[in-house]
Amino acid sequence: MERQLDFLVDKVLEQLEKKLGEMGSGSAKSQASGASHAGIAAAGEQTAAQEASNRQTANQPTGTEALASASAAAASTAFSQAHSGEGAGLNASTEPERISQVPNPKYREGMQELLASTPARIGVWRAGVRPLTKTMLQLRRDHAAAVDAVYGEVSEETLKEFSLFTVETKYDNTENYLKRPDMGRIINDEGVRLLEERCQKKPQVQIVVSDGLSASAVDANLRDVLPSLYDSLQSYGLSWGTPFFVKGGRVASMDHIGEILQPEVLVMLIGERPGLVTANSMSAYMCYRPRKGMVESERTVISNIHRQGTSPVEAGAHIGTILSKMLEQKASGVKLVL
Amino acid sequence: MDEQWIQSVGIDVGTSTTKMIVSRLRLGRMSSTFSLPRYQIVERQLLYASKVHTTPLHGFDEIDADAIGAILQKEYEQAQISLGDIKSGAVIITGETASKKNAQHILHLLAERSGDFVVATAGADLEGVLAGKGSGAERRSVAIQGTIVNVDIGGGTANAACFHRGKAIATVTFHVGGRLLRLGPQGEVQYVSPNIQAWLNAKGLSITVGEVLTYERIKDFSIQMARGMLDYLSGRERQVSGLLVLGQPLKENVSVDELSISGGVGQLMSAPTPETISDVSRYGDFGPMLAWALRQEREAGTYPMQWIDPEQTVRATVIGAGMQSTEISGSTVHIKAELLPIRNVPIVKLELTEGHLGDPQQLRREVSDVYDLALRLFEKTTGSPFALAISGITYCSYSLLQTIAEELSQQYRQKFAESRTMIVVCETDMAKALGQALALRCKGQPEIICIDQVRVEYGDYIDLGEPISGSIIPVIVKTLAFDEAPQKGV
Amino acid sequence: MNTKTTVLGQTYQFRNLKEIFAKANEEKSGDQLAGIAAQDSRERVAAKQVLADLTLADIRNNPMLPPEEDEVSRVIEEGINEKIYSEIKNWSVAELREYILSHQTGDSEIKRISRGLTSEMIAATAKLMSNLDLITAAAKIKNITHCNISIGQPGVLAARVQPNHPSDNVQGIKAALYEGLSYGIGDAVIGINPVIDTSDSVKDILEMTKDVMTKWSIPTQNCVLAHVTTQMRAIRQGAPADLMFQSLAGSEKGNRAFGIDVALLDEADDLMRKEGTSTGPNFWYFETGQGSELSSEAHFDIDQVTMEARCYGLARKYNPFIVNTVVGFIGPEYLYDSKQVIRAGLEDHYMGKLHGLPMGCDVCYTNHMKVDQNDMDNLGILLAAAGVNFVIGVAMADDVMLNYQSTSFHDIAAFREVLGLRPAPEFEKWLEKMGIMENGKLTPIAGDPTIFM
Repeated sequence: MERQLDFLVDKVLEQLEKKLGEMGSGSAKSQASGASHAGIAAAGEQTAAQEASNRQTANQPTGTEALASASAAAASTAFSQAHSGEGAGLNASTEPERISQVPNPKYREGMQELLASTPARIGVWRAGVRPLTKTMLQLRRDHAAAVDAVYGEVSEETLKEFSLFTVETKYDNTENYLKRPDMGRIINDEGVRLLEERCQKKPQVQIVVSDGLSASAVDANLRDVLPSLYDSLQSYGLSWGTPFFVKGGRVASMDHIGEILQPEVLVMLIGERPGLVTANSMSAYMCYRPRKGMVESERTVISNIHRQGTSPVEAGAHIGTILSKMLEQKASGVKLVL
Repeated sequence: MDEQWIQSVGIDVGTSTTKMIVSRLRLGRMSSTFSLPRYQIVERQLLYASKVHTTPLHGFDEIDADAIGAILQKEYEQAQISLGDIKSGAVIITGETASKKNAQHILHLLAERSGDFVVATAGADLEGVLAGKGSGAERRSVAIQGTIVNVDIGGGTANAACFHRGKAIATVTFHVGGRLLRLGPQGEVQYVSPNIQAWLNAKGLSITVGEVLTYERIKDFSIQMARGMLDYLSGRERQVSGLLVLGQPLKENVSVDELSISGGVGQLMSAPTPETISDVSRYGDFGPMLAWALRQEREAGTYPMQWIDPEQTVRATVIGAGMQSTEISGSTVHIKAELLPIRNVPIVKLELTEGHLGDPQQLRREVSDVYDLALRLFEKTTGSPFALAISGITYCSYSLLQTIAEELSQQYRQKFAESRTMIVVCETDMAKALGQALALRCKGQPEIICIDQVRVEYGDYIDLGEPISGSIIPVIVKTLAFDEAPQKGV
Repeated sequence: MNTKTTVLGQTYQFRNLKEIFAKANEEKSGDQLAGIAAQDSRERVAAKQVLADLTLADIRNNPMLPPEEDEVSRVIEEGINEKIYSEIKNWSVAELREYILSHQTGDSEIKRISRGLTSEMIAATAKLMSNLDLITAAAKIKNITHCNISIGQPGVLAARVQPNHPSDNVQGIKAALYEGLSYGIGDAVIGINPVIDTSDSVKDILEMTKDVMTKWSIPTQNCVLAHVTTQMRAIRQGAPADLMFQSLAGSEKGNRAFGIDVALLDEADDLMRKEGTSTGPNFWYFETGQGSELSSEAHFDIDQVTMEARCYGLARKYNPFIVNTVVGFIGPEYLYDSKQVIRAGLEDHYMGKLHGLPMGCDVCYTNHMKVDQNDMDNLGILLAAAGVNFVIGVAMADDVMLNYQSTSFHDIAAFREVLGLRPAPEFEKWLEKMGIMENGKLTPIAGDPTIFM
């Protein structure tokens, strides 16, 4: 044991030296990259009653309505926000802003502690009673990214990579999509024809991808969520049908698709209503035997899937677990015991 | 499942006293219904605290194992607890006891007699931290701006742990404790610990076994020892007082603002002043006078530290051990229930940098290096030779996950072909995805246990408990890294 | 009851009161989605014209949602003072509008007449008012309430500090709370929307906020905006709650979608009387918002302004400390752009005030609406001019939990400064004691959250 401990001590020392070396050159960088806001976004797609009730945390019997949610990953957000390398272009908030602007805080160390504890825009200081210019511009920039996400389109490249063909709902255009959620719940006639022609009927698992309220959520997360979900389905020995993309989709379009393809379970990966923290948040809505007239409480939801929220690969793996439980219990939503 | 209770036991076998507690910890759901599940220990309740027993010894340095066993059995009966209900906890053999001849034997025996998932552990640093948690110092540190030190003074050692804003930032252990000087009813010296000899010499003090000490000399000795410890903690003087330190010195840049004293001596600080030599020696040692000396210093206010009353004194360590040692893993993990519990697995760390994450060649070399280190360190086993702790991954894409899983599994199967269970501990929430990726590759050879959201360091050992409600497992991280005393003695 | 009129040469015949009410509304995407909105401006003005001549008795005698079928209707009916109603039942809606706006009518006259009005009558007047009418009328009405402190006095603009956190991290909530307090925000309530619907989590947050209030002797009230049943569980476990919160809908069916009914509200009211921690007598906090009934298909083809008024009719039963219309949270299918949001905010504030309620407004929007922060500045100033009791304060207006934008701590400070408004008197005294405010102005240390550490 003595000898083994010596090895261990050597290794520790070596690592320490390495770290010290890195700190000399790399500390500025890690500080800068620690700045992006961590947090979550609301589930995009829900009715106003759910929205209102979610302001008080959906606890009503209908249960599963998604909303701005905390995430399992939230505990480790400080960690995930520090990543600087990948995908900077996708993210509205990669610039460093998490520095206190308060000129002479009474308790300087405490200021850092406060900033580290929340993604909220605190310690921003003021010009008279108005925000500093930089803070104001940051807010406007994040809002611009959110608006772009609503009016954007999923890239052809993403769809091609996963061989997803496209069907449309009756949404017609974005303005109409926003004003008439009912139209986003119905696949148009051409779409129905395509589904009947190209999709396997009565699959065990049907995977559907939709832009919902954030096209960029699909571009940002599908590459990580979908293959992880495939792996999970494979691990559980489940089979799946022909996946496809729904343009202008609302969550309840699951019901119409359910009528057409009659899967045992269906999962829809859909862009959420963009927030300022991220415009790229995705939700997974899952349902056992979807059909017309399903109520919200019959759907199971995992929301807030994005790189600063619920880890996309972890979400993909967990969705597989939920689907297998749905098949086992022949239920979804509030009736499903997880 | 919204909530679940687990029972946890704490046992503290100290140089002079032995105590046991039973607590229950409540796991509560700390996630919304539309996010991945996450559970936390939301409440820790003390169910039963044993009385403080005198630690049974054979002579001066051998614990009477059977007598300890008998004490525990009685306490379990009294507490109306069956061993099968205990899912977690810690046994601690504190202070000088840990370097007694048969400590290992005792630990083993206690672990067997105290429930299916109770761990045996020792180490002054961990004890100090647990006492600091049990005494309330950790909690208090959140409410103040400065640093608080809790010193748990028992029979053989004083374990000090410093807390700042809710975190343990430093520990130090002193040869300060009641049993270091044992006295007969008239003040006759029965035993002086050899550990304080160097300090005694430096102070020009001489105490020999057999001589009879006067009340005044014991008082002087107590004051000197109390001041020695306080000099060291306050940084007033560390040359001579440093001779009282056991193991590693206190980190340089720690300055202490508040002080609390727990342990048996902490409790005696509120006892009446010992007036006579028989008051002093009523426990067969100089503990009451040491406590009095500390109280004098507190009242005189000569050190620039604010003295705080601890929430617990004599039971601080055992309460810390029983109630604060258990953590739980993240709730989306990859486990095989039938393989659990697994105890005493050493940690090997794979600390990934941007370089490793960006270059598969570099990653391969790093994994290879770390595995080779583990090969040298640990014996081959059909179980788990080590648990691989992965850190440094901030965002894990699917392609990165595949690369990591490929390297980890392929090399593991080559180098640890006989191991039937591979254990991986991730810092960030990715255990289910990584476990799944590893399992798809290994196909049961080895089986994969992959958990997350537990922080571990080099030199830690971990215990993984049986799953609670399917997917959450209790984890005890045992920090033995800085501690050499138990090994030396064994 | 006359249901017919001619506008610019075209004759309009309306089927019933529901149709008149719906078509008399200013344009709202929610009424369009429900398929009940006016086809064009001309039809809209025709409906207004018909509505103006209806008597209050016409409205009461032709219930759009009969009391036998709906308990919200029953609550509204039972609240009517028959003596006052009989004095005014032959007034037309136009006359009522003019009475409210008249120089001869002051706060106490309005308060008296309010007791004889149903929610539908109040909604009817809103439909005949321009934005400035709504401001002028509301500005007359002062509804002062008291929980631990009083708010609603003339010249006072209070604010809720809303320090939400995406995972209910208590330290993170505290951080944003400190920031808000340091800007003089938090006199209406320290109110947190929780993510986690367990009583444990709610209790933790209530205890933390209470600790902060006690430590710094802050004269305000705390609240965690969980579902009423979760709050009740937490309170029964000993959690210190000064206010009980609940979202309301304007129909029984709508309330069922929220998981509540009148019996449950009564039970919660009783619990607060026995175990609430505040002084009272007002200890409820309600939230509402146009469109919620339609979204749960509980609107019975009644327009969203009328349904909103009915929420206030229900709220009135419980003498709340604060009522908040979350005006732009609900989405573009109900309020499409800034014009609609601003209109709705002014309507709700006026209708609530006329019900005798302590109205506040969450001046807010989501990112899929055609609204931006400038529009919030506008509505905020309009409401502050109309005498709104309180608004919502969120760090830089960005709520990191609910993912929408509201008004910021800075905005509230600016509303106060520009219009010469002050925090609630007891709270202002405390701000002075803390050195955050002097003579109604923020001091140089305001904006430093670490003064509370």
